[in-house]
Amino acid sequence: AGPEAVDGLQRLHLSVAATKYPRKLDGKFVEQLQTVLCSPKSPEQIQVLCAAILREMSPCNDLVLSCDEIQDTKLLSLVSSVLLAQGSRGEVAAVGQRVVQGLERRLPEGQSARFLLPVLANVISLSPGSLTEEQTNVVSKKLADWLRYASIQQGMAQPSGGFFSSPRTKQPAPITEVDGAVATDFFTVLSVAQHYTQDQWLNVQAFSMLRNWLLCYGGPGTSCPEKLWLPHPWKSTPGRLLPPRERLRDKAFAYCQRLVEQSTRRPLKKEDGDLQKACLIEAVTIMDIICKQDSSYVCRAVSCLKILHSRICGDATYARALLPIAQLFLNHSKQAAVDSDAIYKHLFSDIPALLFHNPSLAFEFVQFCKDNSQLFTDSSSIFRQSFPNLFKFLAWNSPALISEFVDLLPFLLDPGTATEIFHLLLDLPCLTAALDIQLRAAALPVSEKAGADPAGKPATCLEAFHHPLYRSMFQYLLRSRAAPEDAPDSLVPLRQLLGSLAGSPRVVQCAETVPVLLELFFRVVAEFADGSLINQLVVLLLQRSDQLYDIPAFKEDVYRVLGSNLAMLCGLRPALVVELSTEILEFSGAVSNIQSKEAIFTHMAWAVGEFLSVSHDKRCTVEQITRFFETLEAVLFEITQLRPQASTPSCAPRAISVLMATLTKLAARSQDLIPRVSMFLSKMRTFVQSPAVTSVYCEEDLEEILIRATELMNLLKMPSVAQFVFTPPVASTRFQKEVNDSLPLALRMVTQLLEPAAGSMPV
Amino acid sequence: MVRAFVLLAPGGPAPCRVLYARTFGTPPGAGPGGPRQRLRRKEQLLVVARQVASQCQLLQASLGRPSSPQLPQLPDEPVSLQDAPGGVFQMSPGDPFPERVTVVWLSVLALAFALVCEPQENLSLAEITLRRLAPRLLLSLRLLGPGADVLLRPDAADGLLDRLLPHGQMLFLNERFLQAMDRELGLKVSR
Repeated sequence: AGPEAVDGLQRLHLSVAATKYPRKLDGKFVEQLQTVLCSPKSPEQIQVLCAAILREMSPCNDLVLSCDEIQDTKLLSLVSSVLLAQGSRGEVAAVGQRVVQGLERRLPEGQSARFLLPVLANVISLSPGSLTEEQTNVVSKKLADWLRYASIQQGMAQPSGGFFSSPRTKQPAPITEVDGAVATDFFTVLSVAQHYTQDQWLNVQAFSMLRNWLLCYGGPGTSCPEKLWLPHPWKSTPGRLLPPRERLRDKAFAYCQRLVEQSTRRPLKKEDGDLQKACLIEAVTIMDIICKQDSSYVCRAVSCLKILHSRICGDATYARALLPIAQLFLNHSKQAAVDSDAIYKHLFSDIPALLFHNPSLAFEFVQFCKDNSQLFTDSSSIFRQSFPNLFKFLAWNSPALISEFVDLLPFLLDPGTATEIFHLLLDLPCLTAALDIQLRAAALPVSEKAGADPAGKPATCLEAFHHPLYRSMFQYLLRSRAAPEDAPDSLVPLRQLLGSLAGSPRVVQCAETVPVLLELFFRVVAEFADGSLINQLVVLLLQRSDQLYDIPAFKEDVYRVLGSNLAMLCGLRPALVVELSTEILEFSGAVSNIQSKEAIFTHMAWAVGEFLSVSHDKRCTVEQITRFFETLEAVLFEITQLRPQASTPSCAPRAISVLMATLTKLAARSQDLIPRVSMFLSKMRTFVQSPAVTSVYCEEDLEEILIRATELMNLLKMPSVAQFVFTPPVASTRFQKEVNDSLPLALRMVTQLLEPAAGSMPV
Repeated sequence: MVRAFVLLAPGGPAPCRVLYARTFGTPPGAGPGGPRQRLRRKEQLLVVARQVASQCQLLQASLGRPSSPQLPQLPDEPVSLQDAPGGVFQMSPGDPFPERVTVVWLSVLALAFALVCEPQENLSLAEITLRRLAPRLLLSLRLLGPGADVLLRPDAADGLLDRLLPHGQMLFLNERFLQAMDRELGLKVSR
């Protein structure tokens, strides 16, 4: 076996791995690979390659591998990696048995259990039920020993031999803490030495797998199919030998407490600082699990963590550790009768505002919210009231967090928060821009912060941040808590100011998430909104359509969502067309709206046609119908001029069709208007044939308009039919829905009835 | 536990490519057996890679960086991970794995490294693990030089993973332990 063999195996691996479709290898060859893998004479590199190929081919029918005969722990680990890749419960169990066996017995000389623990961790992760209670007890006992009794002296370097190695055995040095102090307590992952002993390695491995082990086998009962967390009634008394499970819990808790103490020391090596924080998070998480499994630990845990919290709460680099601390308190503080409100308040009021730009913290914070979503149901709680802060995470880290917020948003919405969140969603990209400025302003040296002349206008966004004209608007946008009453009259000046940032990639990425959230917003709100809230939302919708952050694609998408949901809201509460007639008339009468906000306008016009009738609301009078009619007629007139001037807005053909249909529907209900509509519709032929118009619209669209005009005209020739078709009874049975959906069909049918000879083409 | 490790080239205009992927065990009973299981595994990893590539490109854009960074002039120049962009995102159950997973990723030059973790995993440790794997892989596989070394040296990648992420188990290694491990592997990592 030489370099050619290595080369050959590498190429073989590539050819197997490179395709996702199966590559058939000769059965005998596969057997040979396994033989070579297990042979003690094979060089390590060849063994690794054989294992890689076998894994790559998994699941493998020709596998005869077994770990029973293998004594070398490194090889056992390698072979296990192949066996565990087969996806067979039997194989996983067999590996588990073999590994526990290896841990139980005394290992042959030179072998280390170090390589077995990760295999065991993998086994219980893949198939938690693979070990018997007896086996878990064996392992629990060993884990407890490794955690607590690893050597507290440094290991020796491998003897290098040579002339100058001292014959006198040197006194081994004690281990130190990460800050260089000599350690006065047992060994942990945060203990420092020049060289490490085998049992110290096992200490690291044991801690690394501890959390999953406790989750799986730390609770009462035998091996766990699910992870049950019931407090164990068994109380420990000191000095008495505990059963393995309880003993491990005891040692594990002590280890975690020690880590908590070690994790706030100032490390000599900067990189150890990162590990300290990871250890802290792990330690607190494990304490939480232990408390769930045995509530007698709660008091100790809570008092330890209160002290820890006061030590780290001012240090932004420890912010991520605040989450598991808060989680433990949420899970157990009732029992310890502890007031943890200060902890939650600090977490929700201060942290997001400070650290929204840290993507890992942002993700974990939002996860925390999702994991504890029941906290948000209480509308007065600090959690629910902090939603403006939560949205900062999304505003800054949109692509990574949008799907998390889709899950979270429903928990934040209720009648009390709906309108404020509506505004917030529409202004989300502004929030991104404002956060950007806030960060830049904070980074300025103090001298520059003094700011510009308050009497003049600020020249840049950055100057505006502290400027009296804009300061309160910034403060409102960047608020930490819900504040519906404090909304400034208008954020329009701020939006205009922030326009210079509208093209920044982060702002654009945020803007792209808004339509999705808006759609979800309406879907959720529709489920609980009462009449008053629906009316409020419609009014706000129309108002805000003029007040959006100026990003063209953003506005188009938002209009689309607002339009279709406007129709939905009107369908939920048809009476609003009458109740909000002033606002709706104002909106529908502005010709500019048909051009700039076509989606909203079209749906509004449609809703008027559908719902402005006495069958939907008794207060609908003939005068009202006439008023709406005249308003919409004027708009339609303006956009269908035969010789459009430069000032005439061009608009989507769909808008013209909807307006025609709406006017027809209104006329069907107030038949005095029929002659006016009929005359209008008959002029549409001239309109679509006018040369100025044919240059603006395409042929299919014009044909469609003409067909629709003809159908509507024909329908009006039979007013009672028209009335029936356009004003079905209000009861929302399935039949009625079908009638509404079949409106175009009904129209066509009527047309054919009236023009039997001419076929379907209008004359 | 970590379910899988993926090393990919995110591309920019070019589609993303998986250069090396390693799964740590197959959950039993999780789906079809036989070749379909393998096909599914490959496709799942490709979905992860594409999502990482997309997040990577979006983050680069928002940081104002070019999407296809230049390789350093000298292949042995130490690579600074100081400003290496990275992130974390979640993938819902069924898309593409049966259960929810969290993906932690790190981008160095024209490559990206990703860990597919079980939910509730210690993400701080995952980030540390990635920051240790990346330079060591770059070194052992000579990823910055020309040629497709990584594809032809799975043993080098496996060797590193077997130490730093054995069977998907992340390790709480302080700097001294890490040095000891580098000594065992015969690696000379610049510090």
